[in-house]
Formats: sequence, C-alpha cells, structure tokens
Amino acid sequence: LFETLRLRLTLFFFPLLPIQQMQFMLLFSRQGKLRLQKWYVPLSDKEKKKITRELVQTVLARKPKMCSFLEWRDLKIVYKRYASLYFCCAIEDQDNELITLEIIHRYVELLDKYFGSVCELDIIFNFEKAYFILDEFLLGGEVQETSKKNVLKAIEQADLLQEVSKSNFSGRSVSMVVVTQKLHVPLSF
Amino acid sequence: MSDVVERTLSALPGLLGQHDPGAGPGGAGGPGRVSASSRLGSLIRSITALTSKHEEEKLIQQELTSLKATVSAPTTTLRLMKECMVRLIYCEMLGYESSFGYIHAIKLAQQGNLLEKRVGYLAVSLFLHENHELLLLLVNTVVKDLQSTNLVEVCMALTVVSQIFPREMIPAVLPLIEDKLQHSKEIIRRKAVQALYKFYLIAPNQVQHIHDKFRKALCDRDAGVMAASLHIYLQMIKENSSGYKDLTGSFVTILKQVVGGKLSADFNYHSVPAPWLQIQLLRILGLLGKDDPRTSELMYDVLDESLRRAEINHNITYAILFECVQTIYTIYPKSELLEKAAKCIGKFVLSPKINLKYLGLKALTYVIQQDPNLALQHQMTIIECLDHPDPIIKRETLELLYRITNGQNVTVIVQKMLDYLKESQEEYAIISLVGKIAELAEKYPFIFLN
Repeated sequence: LFETLRLRLTLFFFPLLPIQQMQFMLLFSRQGKLRLQKWYVPLSDKEKKKITRELVQTVLARKPKMCSFLEWRDLKIVYKRYASLYFCCAIEDQDNELITLEIIHRYVELLDKYFGSVCELDIIFNFEKAYFILDEFLLGGEVQETSKKNVLKAIEQADLLQEVSKSNFSGRSVSMVVVTQKLHVPLSF
Repeated sequence: MSDVVERTLSALPGLLGQHDPGAGPGGAGGPGRVSASSRLGSLIRSITALTSKHEEEKLIQQELTSLKATVSAPTTTLRLMKECMVRLIYCEMLGYESSFGYIHAIKLAQQGNLLEKRVGYLAVSLFLHENHELLLLLVNTVVKDLQSTNLVEVCMALTVVSQIFPREMIPAVLPLIEDKLQHSKEIIRRKAVQALYKFYLIAPNQVQHIHDKFRKALCDRDAGVMAASLHIYLQMIKENSSGYKDLTGSFVTILKQVVGGKLSADFNYHSVPAPWLQIQLLRILGLLGKDDPRTSELMYDVLDESLRRAEINHNITYAILFECVQTIYTIYPKSELLEKAAKCIGKFVLSPKINLKYLGLKALTYVIQQDPNLALQHQMTIIECLDHPDPIIKRETLELLYRITNGQNVTVIVQKMLDYLKESQEEYAIISLVGKIAELAEKYPFIFLN
C-alpha cells in the first residue's frame, strides 16, 4: 500500500500531468527479458525496476484467451503478444484501452515496415533503431498523427547517410538473413 | 534452455556466415542493420549463453569496467563512443547503473556527426530525468542544433526537447522554437508544436503569450501539425473550457472533414481516416459541450455522422465508437443520439470478442447514472460476466454492479464481491473492493443480519 501511495505522490508532484497520457511502454520476451523501456513519467530507477519486475510477472501469468487489458495498481495496462515479444503499455485508469491497443499495433506495423518482416532478433540487435521509430511516432508520449511516409522518412534519411558512408568504406553491401520465428502482424483482429 | 533462446542461438551462426570481414564491425545490411558480430552483438550473445544471474552480473560488471575505460580515454573516436553508448543503454536496460557514461552521452550529442548525435540524444533522453544536474549541459547543443542548416539536426533537437528539458532554460530556446512554427517543412512545424506542448506542461506561464500561435497551428494546412496542436488545446480546454467555446465551430468543421474523408489517403490507418485525430476531437468536443446546451447543439450532427461512419470491422473503429459514445453521454443530452449510443454499448456488451465486452462493461459503468435502464436491459449478460473465467471481466462487472446496488440486490452483490476477494491476490484490487463493501455496509446495515 505504501508503494502505491508513493507512486501516486510522484505523479502528483509532476507539474502538469496531461490527461490520458501514456505512462510507459515496455517490451519484453516470454522469459521476461526486457528489450525496450520507455518512461513518460518521472520515476526513480528503483521504482522503475520494481514496476518492471512486478508487471512482467503479472502479464506473463495471463492466459491466452483473456482480454488484453488488466488493472494494476491505479493504472490500466494494455498488452499484446506478437510472436515471442510482449508489448506492454500503462495508461491512466479512465483512458480508452482499445486506442492503446491500436497504438501498439501501429508501432509494430512501423517496425515491420522499417525492418522488413520484423522479428524479435531485429529488435534485440537494433534496439536503438526501435527507440528512434518509437520516438517519431509517440513523441513525448503523444501519438503523432502523420501521413504514413513521415514517421519512417526521418529515420531513413539518417540511415541513407550511413549507407553512403559505409559503402565508401567497404565498397560492398552485406545482406543479412535472419532465420527465426517472425513476428506475426495480423492485418485485422 | 528455452526454445526461443535455442532458436536465437541457432540462427546466429547463420548471421555470422553472412558477415563480410572486409566491412569492419557493424557491417550494414538492409536498412542499417547491425550484424551479430559487432561488439553489441557479441555482448548480447554472451549474455544469452549464461545461465545464472550471478554470471550475468559478473559479465556486465566486466563490460562496464571496460566501457568506463574506453569512454574516459582521450583517444576514443566519436564513432567508437557511439558504439559504447549503445552498449551502455543496453546495460542500463538490464538494470545495471552506468552513470559514468551520462556526461559522455551529452558530449556525443554535442560533437558527433548526424548518426552519433542521434545516439547521443537518445542516450540522454533515456539516462537523464527532468531535474538531473547534467541536463543543463544539453541546452547549448540544443540551441546550436535548432539553428543548424541541416534539417535532420533541427528535428533531433526538437525531438529531445519534446521529451526532456530543464524548465529554467525554456527562455533560452523558446524564441528559436517559436520561429520554427513557420518553417516550410511540416515535420519541423509539427515537432515545434509538440515541443511547445511540453513547455506548456512543465511551465504554462512561460508560453502564455503565444496562444495565438497555437491558433495558427490549428489552421495549418498539414493535418499532422494541426493534430499536434490538439494536444495543447485538449489540455487548455480541460483546465478552462469556457475560454475556448468560440472554437467549437472550428473543431466541429475539422471533424466533419476528417470523417467525410477529405484528408489525403496517406492519413488512413486501415481505411479509417486519421483515427487519433478523430479521437482527440471527440474528447475536446466532450469537454466543450458538457452542461452547455447551446454548444452541444453545434455538435449533434457530426456526432451522429461519426456513429454512422464507424461501420468497418476493426478495433480502431470500435475505439472511435467508444469515444463517440462517451462524448454523447458527457455533453448536453439529446435523446436520438443517446438511443443510438445505447445501441452501440449494447453491441459491445454482447460481443463475443472479449476486449469489446470489457469496453461495453466499462461504458455501462460510465453511463449508469444517466441511464440505469440500460443496465437492466442487459442484466442477463452482466450476470453471465460475473462468472467469466477472466478475473478482469469479473472485476469490471463488480464495478458496474456496485453502482447499481439498491436495497433489493445489495446482499447478492456483496456476496459476489466477497467471493471475488477470496480468489484475488492483487493488493490494490483487494483494498479497493474492501472499501466498496465497507461503504455498502454503512449504507445498508441489514446485509449483516443474515
């Protein structure tokens, strides 16, 4: 109970917490290994670790047929598993969970488009790219409604520069074939 | 070892076989993919191969010691620094503190080329927090990048400002960002709006004077910029709805255009035009129309149309419908709309899809005060939900029932709550439910006479 109160107090002292903002997003494997963490509210490292640990356990304990939302402390958790990766977001209690589910899906689509049939390995070995994409799409925790091209354009521009400089260096491009379980990105539910 | 790890490891030799030794560490492939034999790759591979937490700690501490030496060495190139920074982010993600690297993250953002700068900024946004003393050092870099002729650098600076910026230094960058509101590139205008939104949240009085610029953003020819301005408007209207009633007409018009498909198809998400924009507008309209018949009058049409248009069978459509229903119940009531909204809720509650059922219950809980009959209509379904295998559905049902308790049904409802308490292990849920039972006990003391 004390920890719950502390979490609330921390949020209370944040100058102006916008309504219906995402609090954090976590990506973790089926073994509970963290692959990406993005926090949109100020919390101490200790609190982040505790939240991560407890939340991962709670989500992993959910059975497949259950709904994608769960109530945890005073937050709403929206999660979805894509192949071996869990995408997990925390939102305010009164927020619309279905939108958050779609935010997750949109993010997966963007990753898929960028990496070309994305799988967990892509995210593991290129997690900073996953962060770049996330930050373009969810700037400061708010969804950016943009034309499809724009989100990836910003990343690809910088990548193109890397290609140019690398090909000057090696004169050859290396293709990478990743033979593992792919993330299944369903087009409709 | 789990099958996922096994698969990961068995794929790695395949990756290594493809790696061209002449390309150097981190050879590019596809859209800038990192090969598994890079330093990060071998670190990850080594961690995966370990079987105990103790071994992981040892390995990471070794790695951190080596990283500490590298980042402090004067001969380390920026390119190597960037690579180290990524490994530091990885170590912190695993839970190992690496604060010695923070200052170098700032330096990387300051001195690096485009790619190095990007990683530097990312590291800063992940490592530091609003009140960190090192954050002040970032300001000069941001100021410099905001004035850069390279638009990608400007974007990076705006992105980091939207995420983390020291409040006291807002005056140093405010004029530069205001300037960007008129930039020819929409991506810059949009990020500038988002940065100003951040400033509004952390220091509202500092951006008081530029509210007319927000209006310009609202009328921007690019829908993305306009959508970004809605974040600010939603916040401002939440605090003071009366100050913005005059904008109701504009919001209604925009929503009409979006719903009517007037935006470029580029903004479609699964055939739905700009869904997040629609939802923002619906929330804004809800706040403006609350307890205000005249303002609500302006929006009945467009809400009706939104209900009709959202026919496609996709989650995002249901999300918009849900918002629409909420707005209809928030503003000054209109019976035809309420009827349609009630039908909608009914469809949700009866849906076999568990997520929609949950949302239906949630909507019922929201509207129950205004329309108690709706719950009666769906009594059977609600009672079924009480025995649903998913504890979350059960809990939401109890939440709903709590709101419709009366002298007749309170005993049954409290009994169901007590049953749930026996199964539940979650502290927060228990506390909340016990509180409710106590309340009901006070209100209906006779329930303890049995």
